[in-house]
Amino acid sequence: MSSLQVTKRTKYKTSVKDPGSPGALRMNEQKLLFVPDNRNSGTKVVVEFKSIQGHKYTKEGSNKPPLINLSNVQGGSYIFEFDSYADLHVCRDFVSKVLEKSRETSGTASEKAAVTLADEQLSTAEMQLRIKLLQEDSELQKLHQQFVGGNILTEAEFWATRKLLDTDSCRKSKQRVGFKSVMISDIRPLTDGQTNKVTFSLTPEIILQIFAEKPAVHQAYLNFVPKKMTEMEFWTKYCRAEYLNHTKNVHAVAAEAAEDEELAVFLKEDDILAREVRKKIRRVDPTLDMEADEGDDYTHLPDHGILRDGSKELNKSQNEFYRRTLLQDLNRHAAIVLEGRTVDVEREDNTNAVAEALAHSKQGMEEADGNENKNRADRISRVTPIEDLQPADSLPLAPLSIKDAREYFDSQQVNALKTSRDASARMESRSCNTQEAYASMRNAISEIKENGLSDPIVSSDVAIKVFNGLTQNISSIKYHLGKNPRESVLDRLPNTTREKLLFHWTTIQELLRHFWSSYPITTPYIFTKVTRLKDAMSNIYPQLEELKESLQSDLRHQVSLLVRPMQQALDAAIQHHDVDMQKRSVKSGEKPNGYT
Amino acid sequence: MIFKLEDVTVYFPYDNIYPEQYSYMLELKRALDAKGHCLLEMPTGTGKTIALLSLITSYALSKPENPIKFIYCTRTVHEMEKTLAELKLLHDYQTRQLGPAAKILAIGLSSRKNLCVNSRVLAAENRDSVDAACRKRIASWVRALAAENPNVETCEFFENYEKAASAAVLPPGVYTLQDLRAFGKQKGWCPYFLARHMIQFANVVVYSYQYLLDPKVAGIISKEMQKESVVVFDEAHNIDNVCIEALSVNVRRQTLEGATRNLNRMNQEIERFKATDAGRLRAEYNRLVEGLALRGNLPITDAWLSNPALPDDILKEAVPGNIRRAEHFLHVLRRLVQYLRGRLETENVEKENPVNFVASINAHAGIDQKALRFCYDRLHSLMLTLEITDTDEFLHIQTICDFATLLATYTRGFSIIIEPFDERMPHIPDPVLQLSCHDASLAIKPVFDRFQSVVITSGTLTPIDLYPRLLNFHPVVSRSFKMSLTRDCICPMVLTRGSDQLPVSTKFDMRSDPGVARNYGKLLVEMVSIVPDGIVCFFVSYSYMDEIIATWNDSGILKEIMQHKLVFIETQDVAETTLALDNYRTACDCGRGAVFFSVARGKVAEGIDFDGHYGRLVIMFGVPFQYTLSKILLARLEYLRDQFQIKEGDFLTFDALRQAAQCVGRVIRSKADYGMMIFADKRYSRHDKRSKLPGWILSHLRDAHLNLSTDMALHIAREFLRKMAQPYDKTGGGSRKTLLSQEDLEKMTNDGSINNMLY
Repeated sequence: MSSLQVTKRTKYKTSVKDPGSPGALRMNEQKLLFVPDNRNSGTKVVVEFKSIQGHKYTKEGSNKPPLINLSNVQGGSYIFEFDSYADLHVCRDFVSKVLEKSRETSGTASEKAAVTLADEQLSTAEMQLRIKLLQEDSELQKLHQQFVGGNILTEAEFWATRKLLDTDSCRKSKQRVGFKSVMISDIRPLTDGQTNKVTFSLTPEIILQIFAEKPAVHQAYLNFVPKKMTEMEFWTKYCRAEYLNHTKNVHAVAAEAAEDEELAVFLKEDDILAREVRKKIRRVDPTLDMEADEGDDYTHLPDHGILRDGSKELNKSQNEFYRRTLLQDLNRHAAIVLEGRTVDVEREDNTNAVAEALAHSKQGMEEADGNENKNRADRISRVTPIEDLQPADSLPLAPLSIKDAREYFDSQQVNALKTSRDASARMESRSCNTQEAYASMRNAISEIKENGLSDPIVSSDVAIKVFNGLTQNISSIKYHLGKNPRESVLDRLPNTTREKLLFHWTTIQELLRHFWSSYPITTPYIFTKVTRLKDAMSNIYPQLEELKESLQSDLRHQVSLLVRPMQQALDAAIQHHDVDMQKRSVKSGEKPNGYT
Repeated sequence: MIFKLEDVTVYFPYDNIYPEQYSYMLELKRALDAKGHCLLEMPTGTGKTIALLSLITSYALSKPENPIKFIYCTRTVHEMEKTLAELKLLHDYQTRQLGPAAKILAIGLSSRKNLCVNSRVLAAENRDSVDAACRKRIASWVRALAAENPNVETCEFFENYEKAASAAVLPPGVYTLQDLRAFGKQKGWCPYFLARHMIQFANVVVYSYQYLLDPKVAGIISKEMQKESVVVFDEAHNIDNVCIEALSVNVRRQTLEGATRNLNRMNQEIERFKATDAGRLRAEYNRLVEGLALRGNLPITDAWLSNPALPDDILKEAVPGNIRRAEHFLHVLRRLVQYLRGRLETENVEKENPVNFVASINAHAGIDQKALRFCYDRLHSLMLTLEITDTDEFLHIQTICDFATLLATYTRGFSIIIEPFDERMPHIPDPVLQLSCHDASLAIKPVFDRFQSVVITSGTLTPIDLYPRLLNFHPVVSRSFKMSLTRDCICPMVLTRGSDQLPVSTKFDMRSDPGVARNYGKLLVEMVSIVPDGIVCFFVSYSYMDEIIATWNDSGILKEIMQHKLVFIETQDVAETTLALDNYRTACDCGRGAVFFSVARGKVAEGIDFDGHYGRLVIMFGVPFQYTLSKILLARLEYLRDQFQIKEGDFLTFDALRQAAQCVGRVIRSKADYGMMIFADKRYSRHDKRSKLPGWILSHLRDAHLNLSTDMALHIAREFLRKMAQPYDKTGGGSRKTLLSQEDLEKMTNDGSINNMLY
């Protein structure tokens, strides 16, 4: 189906009279794409067929040029002039077919389309971000050109591995943000200065904080709304209570509360809080527990000790019942901030849902720490030992001293080479079958039996040869580097070669990343992608060889050393691919190529 | 490390030791050798507690032939827990080094409320109702009743403990309150009575001051401590206040009303007994005729709070005849209550001495001094006879009897002050009759007399010569140690001006100035943005804190502060404050940072440490003077002037500055720790105020830091924090070492240079 695609040469016109800009029109089932020949002057047009409502075209035989006019939903139109009527007909048929189909499916598939389009069709912001990234990073641009331009990777595939570059999306990711440190639940009345009216404004965020900090209000909300009063009434009442509290007139508060029992709920001390406090205090570190202290203080029995020597505080008035102090609110707020957010406000835009969700999460929490609370035996005292009297608890560490970082990395490279060579050697031995191995071992044993173990297992000549070979490698690098520590192997290469080499390296890395990330192959889409990648990879071999041959002999050795790991990595990938293909063909039996 | 201190081998649980710890131990050891009392001031943050614990335990270990008992008094339960935790560390080390020979028994003792494991008893709300709920289940007559009637509820933990009898012992080890509870639960024994029993055998007992100083408690708990004990009062800078509080009683309207209710109830009980069990009342009468009798042979379960007067002053005579009969005694009490009610109805402040007051009671209510003196004991006896278990209901009448007993026992050092209302709130009538003690030496005298060595130690005992006068004792050693610092890890500053260069102060006439509140607020706003982790602020009083926070809230300063750090506040509700502290620590731990607002002389300032990242900066807003118009304070000042020739102004400044020093001293725990201290009041720049600060703060207070404005303080703070973040040599290097290893110590002892190191 996706093979249904039409490409024709056309001119794109904004109106019938417009001379038009020449270019290529490509159409597939989803969209049409016009690319002008002259990239600077012409406008690139990308139109979704979804947005096309109808199409008109000039009849053959009239002396008008072969035009097709596609009108979109918004009422605008796209006019294309073709070279011949034959081209026009092909396009016309294609367009009508596609439009018909899309009209049929539009009803049912519109939702699905929205989902799939989400990654296909990009928001402008995303597009801009990509463009910006490409502009900023020339290397990325090169890669993009090579792969996406060369049809090895699709646009989406290319960017899929670069999600991390996209910092915005990181920020957008659903990380829960805690409460703000600032107390927003302390709503202030606003007066307009002319009338006696005061205004309070509440947002879902504020409401959530109010619920979290004042369980009594939360409870009241669950009880009253909407059975007893509307939400509006509820919050009006709450704000009235807040306003009363702001006036700091204890007697007025008490009087109001006596008249209106619902209002009293907001003004009274919070029983739920008091209960929570009693529960939490059992978990407090005993070295902080001042309540235990009060329980031990017999000097301050009621009416014992010194009452009014000025260091003691006075007792506040008797209407203590209706005094919720700012200090308590502050403590409570800070405690809630520390507990962290349990409900996501953005999701819950209606107050009811917020209230319910909070109730749920609280229940969960209570169940979770129900066991903990039972027993205050779990409390542990915090004793800080005097740190500087103790021996330093750090483990003995030799400080890392690298005089020249290059030396380290270059020799590492040689090491890597060596091990990879060893690995290939091992591979060979594995490939010989058990009988051969058995035979050779028997031989070896019988040899030892005859000659005794006088001979070393490895003959010294060979050992020296290998040893020299390896050390020479290292020492030669060292020798070259010895002159100038900054100079590495790469610096000695001609500029173009070096760039080519580096570019190959990044290319191979990119390809390999995509290659390995596509395993295991589960869908035909990935299958084709892997095939594409494999082809691209096998194309690199000759390029590498070419690169090597283009150099003088003294440099060639160095370059081949550098190229070898690349080749090995590619080898491994292609080998894996081949093995995988073999397995697949065996599995699917008769269908050698038709993997579905 | 293990080292020799003259003839004592000291086991010290750390690998290194500060030189001042070494000298501290040396002085302490000399005091113990001399079997005398001593007074030692050592800066906070030099490991005072561990030095003390390891010297005294090592001292006891090195002299097994005459074992000494070690009584360690803390001001609060949480400090008790902290001390026991340190002792545990030390004990682990000593048993590792010495094996089982080093095993000791160390226990903490607290009230039933903190030790009880019976969930039904614990359900009671406060300490007094827990005590009553316990007595309801274990009083001897209740248990006797339960033996016959299985429906009477007893406490299974106490019954098990009783059953185990002499087998109920704690194996050696260090027991925190929590360990005691866990042990009790596991064995099924009552941890409270087990601990009460075990303190006779324990090598180390840790409990709070009042168990020795307050006769009401000491009389039942600490009666049997042997003379060969070393008593330590740690953090003892407020010990004079504890002493006078222990002997002071107030009577208010509510007290009198409650007492009348109690009397009515007792009257009913007497009538009931007369009808059902008249023999019981007669038996009591006979016992009283024979003598005081009931003291001493009382079952442990029936003991209530003891006589409020000091043991030496309690008359060992028979109860006078006119209050031997229960009804007569009730009549006497009624008349007393009536008289007190009359005295409360005054419109002016009255001040009287006890002798005159007793005389006027005699004249108006017809109660003589001797009868008054026996009030407490007579009441106690009556309540036992009437088998009253809900003691929490009878606190009011007990207060009246305590008052009467104290009043009639002491003729000097006390005064009676009747105030019709609080000076600070003259519009609210709240009459109170206060019997207040002025002489701190009264309550502590029996302790000095009874025990061979009493150690009084704190970070703030400046001026050190004042304490022996206040407490009336003669220390054999009295030393104040300086602090040897590896680097300048404390940075005290005196801030005299705000950001607008106007002076700041909490002086009475400036206190309500909005400019001062704003300047204080701005200072904090600036500081929260540059100081990491925790900041602690101390205010001079709750009411001032309330006021200033409200001002900051209205002007938006609080909001600015909260943008940087969370805010926690000490309130008068201890439970809430405890939680706030716990949350404060969490906020510092998790990196959000927090500010804690607290009050000088408050509970937090008394015993909570803000070490390490819990306190990088302390701001003391104002000078925490006492309310100088208080009648009780004036009376006390007068007494001090007459008795000890201490000038009023000097005492007030001394008292305010020791509180301030105590507040700011909470930030340093060790020499590796660091913190800044800002004294935000222009009065601190005056020499007469400043010089009362302890030496270890003064020695770091540079002249350049004596007169700062907010911007300069900010600059200094930035520089200081930057400097402290650098790595440094912990041993101090150079000629003067600030950290000694075992090797250093041995070398120095051998060549005698150790004496140069002493501070």
